[in-house]
Amino acid sequence: MEHNELNEQELQEFERKLRTAMSRRAAPLGLKTRVLAQAHERRQGQRRRWWMIERIAATVLLAAAVGGFVEYRHLEEVRKGEAAKEQVLTALRITGRTMGRVQERLSEDR
Amino acid sequence: MRGNLSWQPDFEELVDEHQSMVFSLALRMTGDRGLAEELAQDVLLELDRNLNKIKSADHARFWLRQVALHRSADALRRKRANAAALGTDVWVELEERHGFMERDSESPLGVRIEELLATLPESQRAALVLRYQEDLTPEEIAVTTQSPVATVKSQLQRGLKLLRMRASQTLKEYVRGA
Repeated sequence: MEHNELNEQELQEFERKLRTAMSRRAAPLGLKTRVLAQAHERRQGQRRRWWMIERIAATVLLAAAVGGFVEYRHLEEVRKGEAAKEQVLTALRITGRTMGRVQERLSEDR
Repeated sequence: MRGNLSWQPDFEELVDEHQSMVFSLALRMTGDRGLAEELAQDVLLELDRNLNKIKSADHARFWLRQVALHRSADALRRKRANAAALGTDVWVELEERHGFMERDSESPLGVRIEELLATLPESQRAALVLRYQEDLTPEEIAVTTQSPVATVKSQLQRGLKLLRMRASQTLKEYVRGA
């Protein structure tokens, strides 16, 4: 075989030529521009997604706050209504009892 | 690898510095200029997505070499699968594609070496490209390809022998003459 005839010096020479032949090739024109444009687009998309997520989160938070306030007001009204009802019932009980006593006295006077 | 706590990656600078390395690795691994360009673009965009994980300039270079090699290997595997499905020979196709490469701007030896490289087994090709294009030591190649140093040395030896043998058959004037 031909290659067996190559000595160490020739091998080194081959390696030297190989190193020269295998120097880096220049990147194609426009590769950097395309990569930077796509990276920019991706970042913009990411920013848009975050903006959407932030908006959704803010809307959910606002809706929860408004809902909580409405619910609180409703419960407060119910509580006030219950208290008023309780007061009316107490007043009715007192009136009923007073009427009962008046009735008793009238019966005694007769 | 030198760690630098204050190192701030600048994607544009990294692309500028490494685009040629990534493209050359992909080109010599796949032997297909169009595919290499696509791969280089994907690898650089993947770097952008992983920029927060890159700790230093050396780390960026190492990461790019490793990802470029993996991506090229994946692309070759897909290519082989497609070729098998279509009943064509991927190596014949690679050699044909090399024939269409821009020869005017390259030295004849460089073009011929790339053609011969395409005929070597993938692992030997990767070792030779990292050794002679990237000027890495066998130890550094072993770290990049995640293989034992002894395996890398053997791949280099076998690959070089095979390449030299094929070159001596076709490139005698370049190997011995000049």
